[in-house]
Amino acid sequence: MDKILRVNMGAKGGPKFTVEPIGVYTGLGGRALTSAIVSKEVPPTCHPLSGTNKIVIAPGLLSGSIAAMSGRISVGCKSPLTGGIKESNSGGQPSQVLARLGYAAIVLEGKPEGDDLYTIYINKEGVKITVNNDLRMLGNYDTVSKMKEKFGDKIACISIGPAGEMRLPAASVAFTDMELRPARHAGRGGPGAVMGSKGVKVIVLDDTDMPMRQPKDPERFKEANKVFIEGLLKHGVTGQALPAYGTNVLANILNEAGAYPTYNFKQGTFAGVAKISGETEAALETERGGVPTHACHRGCVIRCSGIYNDKDGHYLSKQPEYETVWAHGADCGIDDMDKIAMLDFLDDNYGLDTIEMGTTIGVAMEAGFLKFGDADGAINLIHEVGKGTPLGRIIGSGAALTGKVFGVERVPVVKGQAMPAYDPRAVKGLGVTYATSPMGADHTAGYATTANILKVGGFVDPLKPQGQVELSRNLQIATAAIDSTGMCLFIAFAILDQPETFQALIDLLNAFCGLSFTGNDVTEYGKKVLTMERDFNIRAGFTKEQDRLPEFFKTQEIPPHNVVFDVSDEELDEVFNW
Amino acid sequence: MKNKTRAVLENCPGVRIEAGEALFPYFRPIFQSGFLFRCQVGKSIEDLLFRQLSLKKLFVEEKISTVFLDGQCVDDISRTILNDDSVVAFSSALPGLVGATLRRGGFYACLRNSITYRKKDMSVDARQGTITIKLFNLLMEELGPVFLRKGIIMGCSAIVGFLQEQREAFWKEIHAAYLGDNIIAPRDLSAESTYGNGDYITIRIDDRDKFQ
Ligand code: SF4
Repeated sequence: MDKILRVNMGAKGGPKFTVEPIGVYTGLGGRALTSAIVSKEVPPTCHPLSGTNKIVIAPGLLSGSIAAMSGRISVGCKSPLTGGIKESNSGGQPSQVLARLGYAAIVLEGKPEGDDLYTIYINKEGVKITVNNDLRMLGNYDTVSKMKEKFGDKIACISIGPAGEMRLPAASVAFTDMELRPARHAGRGGPGAVMGSKGVKVIVLDDTDMPMRQPKDPERFKEANKVFIEGLLKHGVTGQALPAYGTNVLANILNEAGAYPTYNFKQGTFAGVAKISGETEAALETERGGVPTHACHRGCVIRCSGIYNDKDGHYLSKQPEYETVWAHGADCGIDDMDKIAMLDFLDDNYGLDTIEMGTTIGVAMEAGFLKFGDADGAINLIHEVGKGTPLGRIIGSGAALTGKVFGVERVPVVKGQAMPAYDPRAVKGLGVTYATSPMGADHTAGYATTANILKVGGFVDPLKPQGQVELSRNLQIATAAIDSTGMCLFIAFAILDQPETFQALIDLLNAFCGLSFTGNDVTEYGKKVLTMERDFNIRAGFTKEQDRLPEFFKTQEIPPHNVVFDVSDEELDEVFNW
Repeated sequence: MKNKTRAVLENCPGVRIEAGEALFPYFRPIFQSGFLFRCQVGKSIEDLLFRQLSLKKLFVEEKISTVFLDGQCVDDISRTILNDDSVVAFSSALPGLVGATLRRGGFYACLRNSITYRKKDMSVDARQGTITIKLFNLLMEELGPVFLRKGIIMGCSAIVGFLQEQREAFWKEIHAAYLGDNIIAPRDLSAESTYGNGDYITIRIDDRDKFQ
């Protein structure tokens, strides 16, 4: 992984590529690498769909090795949704395959003059770029099918659906799973639109004959991986709850806490939650011959994913995740799991971010455009997006724009990006992260619960009110560091509770890269990433006024606890004060 | 709770089912939606778990990591007192920052200050009462049978609805069924007429192995 593939889509005479050494970006991977390239090479004030924006796809530092859980991939660009820097993260096979092909990143730059669609094929021999207009407006599933027919089934694909081709700000980039289904998405912030603006429909990766990436210290690496896996498997969350129920195991308890945003963030509990909980979802999957425990890439030992079949036992979608079930479910008042799974499939196929789409439909429902609970109406709306009708293009532009078009006050977005599935009035500490993350409202920005082990910024007394700000800062730092390794963030619980598992993670990194990182170095690494991202946003014109939640969170109480978000602006401004 | 309802709950008819262990998982939808349970109130949640349900300390410490009382996160189960009508929910450890935040006594408790249970009323008299219990995720499997063996209370229409949805495999697990002291055909449990005009019913499951 010591080279970067750059494809200039706007080169005279058609796209041209170069393969260059990683150079100044040595030592960076995943989010650290995407944010470094975007921050250094993209003019912050550029139009996100212009030729000067770049889209960077980078496996993590450990991807392509046998390190468990190391197959996450980062996609970075200037976001068409937020106007700021974006790192959107996905599972699936491409991270491992791209890393084994030796690439630390693919960078798509420039903009083609015509409207041709391109396929980029990469294998051990090199890179081929071809015009492939037959793929125009095909869904991700059909696109991948065609690639399979052409290149066989030993491939991994990175593609966009019609939403990306139409450059809609809610468009995702799809990554295939182990069964070659384009069911894993870098959804947040509209990276699919940027890939669409480059005219790239699909990148096909084939790592036939390429060996696993080898660690610098194989013995130490093997031992650390063993301890790491043991730690994940013995922990209640990573060894039991996530494999048994998936991420949607959170639905029932968020609802119990009154923090499950329902009817477009009007209330914190949903009467139909038991019908769409992770427990119910897993039971349905088992009953219908689906799979409640499934890995999104080889080497994942937690296996939080699954396969959701319809009533007749046919594949309907991958197991919809917590955020998807919430966004298309409770937020829209829909309690029909089959309809939610259908919406998940349509989002994946058209190439849309499920959180943005669910929240946007919730806003449209608030406007009275559809009734809350109208699942078929929601499905039709997603089809409108896929077809590119004028209404569909509005919905596909996300919650902020839809709220403006329909004249809605309660629009749950930060920096233009829809808020995920936890109400920040009930769990205020999460609101601090939503408000201040350079990514916009992002559920993963403060996800890594390792901050207390890292002791980032010293010890935080969790009982002091100001702890919220300090914890948010520390969590964002820890998350940025983990996102750079290629590790799935779900390892966080095991490394939080079990110091030996956390140590095993550091040992894995050190043994693989030949480093002698300590917890402090990991912290500095995370800080560096966040600093680059904040700096980009400032240069793009962001001020502290964008680090705020929408006003209604401060003025409209959420039942049942009847609380508002009351962390002061001054406190929010302290988050990045290091 | 109104006195009238309390009296109805105290005297509601009882169904006893003799069945194999495989019957318990069918009750998952009921565990997560919640059921009523007669216990001593005026006592702490810890008392319910250790003394009244006889759970082991290690199990409670390691498995019951998230507890809600009336929708608020409980940090100290020894000082949180149950009342008639209390709604208590139990969950095992959950993923992500939000999972860590809701966990009892956890490092991230300050992130959910405004929904933390704070009332610690030690002066309530202990007496028999009825509370609502909800069990989530892994605890449905582990605690569900404990409650079913002791007897849970449900509204008659809810239990009839639940039983009418069950398929052949469910009924096959039932060895015998009793309404009060009278043996009845298991399938009659799903008939509304079985319960006369009653509003609530107690259901208890005894492991079949005990009777073979
Ligand atoms: S835990 Fe889930 S999201 Fe993470 S790598 Fe495994 S299957 Fe993918």
